[in-house]
Amino acid sequence: MSPELNQSAPLSAEPAEPKAGQVAVPVWLLVLLFLVLYGGMVYFDRNSGWFSEQVYAPYRNLQEVEAFQPVSGAPGLVQLGLQVYNKPTCVACHQANGKGLSGQFPPLIRTDWVLEPEPGRIIRAVLDGLSGPIQVEGQSYNGAMVPWRESLSDEEIAAVLTYVRQNPEWGNKAPAVKPERVKEVREKTKSHKQSYSPEELLKISPAD
Amino acid sequence: MNYGPLVFLAAFFALASSWCGFVLTPQLQIGRLQQTNTASGAAVTYPVSRPGLARQGLEVYRANGCAYCHSQQVGQSGTAVEIALTDAGTNQAATVAALLSLAKATNDEPAVWTALPALEMARSNSPATNLLSGLPKAFLRGSNPATAKAAVKALDSTSAKAELRIVPFGADLARGWGKRRTVAEDFLFDSPVMPGSQRIGPDLADVGTRLPDVQWQLLHLYAPQLVVKGSAMPPYRFLFEKRAVERGQSPEALVLPGKFAPPSGYEVVPKPAAKALAAYLVSLHPDAPLFDAPMTVASAAAATPTNSPAASEPAATNAAPATAPAK
Amino acid sequence: MLFLSAAVWLLVASVFGLIASIKFHAPGFLADSACLTYGRVRPASANAMLYGFCLQAGLGVALWMLARLGRTMLAAPWLVIVGALCWNLGVAAGLLGILTGGSTGFENLEMPAYAASLVFLGYLMMVVWGVLTFHQRRERQLYVSQWFLFAALFWFPWTYSTANLLLLGFQVRGMAQAVIAWWYSDNLLVVWFGLIGLAAVFYFVPKLTSRDLHSRYLALLTFWMLILFGSWGGIPASAPVPAWMPASSVVATGLGVVTVISVFLNMRRTLGGKCLPFMSDPSLKFIGFGLVAFVIGGFASGIMAWPALGQLTLFTWFIPARDLLNSYGFFAMVMFGAVYYIAPQLVGRQFLSPKLVRAHFWIAAAGVLLFVVPLAVGGILQGLRLRHADIAFTDIAKGTLPFLRVSTMGDLLMALGHVLFLANLAGLVLQFYRARAVSAWKEATAEIQPAEATP
Repeated sequence: MSPELNQSAPLSAEPAEPKAGQVAVPVWLLVLLFLVLYGGMVYFDRNSGWFSEQVYAPYRNLQEVEAFQPVSGAPGLVQLGLQVYNKPTCVACHQANGKGLSGQFPPLIRTDWVLEPEPGRIIRAVLDGLSGPIQVEGQSYNGAMVPWRESLSDEEIAAVLTYVRQNPEWGNKAPAVKPERVKEVREKTKSHKQSYSPEELLKISPAD
Repeated sequence: MNYGPLVFLAAFFALASSWCGFVLTPQLQIGRLQQTNTASGAAVTYPVSRPGLARQGLEVYRANGCAYCHSQQVGQSGTAVEIALTDAGTNQAATVAALLSLAKATNDEPAVWTALPALEMARSNSPATNLLSGLPKAFLRGSNPATAKAAVKALDSTSAKAELRIVPFGADLARGWGKRRTVAEDFLFDSPVMPGSQRIGPDLADVGTRLPDVQWQLLHLYAPQLVVKGSAMPPYRFLFEKRAVERGQSPEALVLPGKFAPPSGYEVVPKPAAKALAAYLVSLHPDAPLFDAPMTVASAAAATPTNSPAASEPAATNAAPATAPAK
Repeated sequence: MLFLSAAVWLLVASVFGLIASIKFHAPGFLADSACLTYGRVRPASANAMLYGFCLQAGLGVALWMLARLGRTMLAAPWLVIVGALCWNLGVAAGLLGILTGGSTGFENLEMPAYAASLVFLGYLMMVVWGVLTFHQRRERQLYVSQWFLFAALFWFPWTYSTANLLLLGFQVRGMAQAVIAWWYSDNLLVVWFGLIGLAAVFYFVPKLTSRDLHSRYLALLTFWMLILFGSWGGIPASAPVPAWMPASSVVATGLGVVTVISVFLNMRRTLGGKCLPFMSDPSLKFIGFGLVAFVIGGFASGIMAWPALGQLTLFTWFIPARDLLNSYGFFAMVMFGAVYYIAPQLVGRQFLSPKLVRAHFWIAAAGVLLFVVPLAVGGILQGLRLRHADIAFTDIAKGTLPFLRVSTMGDLLMALGHVLFLANLAGLVLQFYRARAVSAWKEATAEIQPAEATP
């Protein structure tokens, strides 16, 4: 692309291409560089949590984050029960507010079934399921309850029943259920392979 | 010597190192994050992905470039530990004595402890009943969880029930823009993530907690000067439709006073984009306590902190011992 | 050709920027148009400026310098033309996409995927030519600028393709998207602009003042500092990411101070402390201004890296001011200077009106000052007030208005400067074509005459 020089406004001759001198870098600049690098490393050491993905500013390291965790002892039975309830083990049918579904799934709010002092009947219901129409608080419900014998452990069944029986939002105030009690019932009903009908359950004493 | 390939190698090496740092490692650390359990012990998974309308609202947010005026990053300067009493216990005198000795500690170690207004009353010699009324109340604020735990033990020994509250603080939090800082998990299901870089308008990370009313959001989008005095935000009237009233006012029509009102016989109705945007804004509430951003959730029952409104029942219930950590 | 299209885009960008700026004073301005809402106009303006002007002009200057320094002719110029067409098409499509709501949501990457691929394709075509030219060079000894340029040629496609692939193609999840977007943005604005801009500075200043560049080794230090640490900046301090990312950015930006000092030293010793040459040559005026802006902007960034200060200016107007100082005050001004030198060389004529060129400089300089200084001051004040929770947010926003008003003046001046730039370049190109037409006409008519003369 040679320049087309024409009559008007000729270009002046172009200056030569630049060249670089060979002067060395001043020492003080290198010293400054190392000082800044050192300062940077100190800063990084203090504030970065050393690449931990769980350390966010203003925490400086993982120990600090752990120290500030809210105090929680071993999660109580009720906590575990809430978790099991929402797994969604129970919430799918009995709903998060415990009201169930009219005609199909009975509510768990202050009903006689739930508030029975001894939990024998409801442990059996959870272990092997329920089928057939059931009367709760004067209403009839005809759904089918799934058995949870194989899916839930003794501790989980005890936890979820305790959660239901002691839920303050629903106004339930009944004694807790212990895992040993669930184990006892599980052993007793080992051979009972199909779901209960409500009439059958009503015949069994809750203290059993 | 042919320096050409050397320059290429230098550039490659330099870029590769920053690629490892800011592309590969974030993908390994953040890009593969899964839903996590909150730190409150209630074992609630967080975050839950946004409902469909809110997800569409994210697209409206993106298309209209809301992130150029609004940020969605809440910062935090530090975390404090507060000691609060939830139950005065049976021996009130002993409780008061314990509190007063703690108050003395604030004099001895002012760098570590500050007395909150409730405890200041004790120093001014108010009667003990005033001190212990209106529980739960926070009395002391410190910076060190270890010494705070010791103080809680001291109070517990008097049969009162004390708890440790983890309280984040910072300029943004003081302004009410959030309860804790935002972390990567809060944006897990958003695509694209738009944290914003300017605060020409207020920060929106927690706007779903501050302004949860969809109608307010719609009004604000239509006529910001109406609901926020002196707002510099332009009105987004193109997200709404002015149409003639047919067969009675639509239930979705905006209630507009005075000079903003449409002429009689007309109503202003939000378009689907406006409704989606409002739903998205209302869904913004990163308030679950996480391992990375611990805080004490101030709800009374063991309910999920993000999904249900805080229960209004008093703290002392049958389930109280198990739910104390969740507060 | 690249330069002319760059100039057009600059004008487009400044129109959008002006609309955006006015919206602050009268929020109702053009509010009823979905296309022209601030959230769309601002990225349109930024993208037009970045991809339409800065990258095109930068590429044009880079390719010219590579050819000159290698003492070689162009290889396959048709590739560059096609590439430029493709690029312009991509930018146009991208802007239309943004204005109609297709923005990707990532800052500086807002052009939708289809536009981005067109742009990338155009770039590849142009860069292949650049690498070929470099390979064919007859002068084997590499000058300083060539390192910068060669590295820059590769830097953009690597970062651009990575960012677009991971954000628009195989999307990463969650906050990783934002980190990659910040990484790309920093690489473009700090590293790429730095590489090309400094290459131009290191080339034109010694050339036009007929002095040698002071130290090759200082320039080497600058090069390494820029590429090693420049691309680690960009993560803001309160980002919702683990603490090590903002911490790395702080360290990297702090090290940028050393880069700036090395450039300052090199240039000062090259000039021997004399500023006079700057006042005579119009290109040097622009480049000199750019150099000063680089140094000031670099120091400002370095100082703001200090966490306590950085938190102060984090979400305020200080950030756009500093960004503009870097991308416009430094890079664009250097590009203006380079183009004002190169264009006459390419066309073979002087500018029609050197007065207009000088006018452009003063207007642009005033525009930059009027934009950057009020916003910087306003931003710091805004940051100080944001710290106090009892000051209502609307009050803080109102407090920034006076500063915004002055900066809109700056915007206007810069837009005027762009009109002048376009006019200057257009005048040059018109001359070129007219001269060609004239000489072609002369040739055609000349042949007839001798035929007539011989009876």
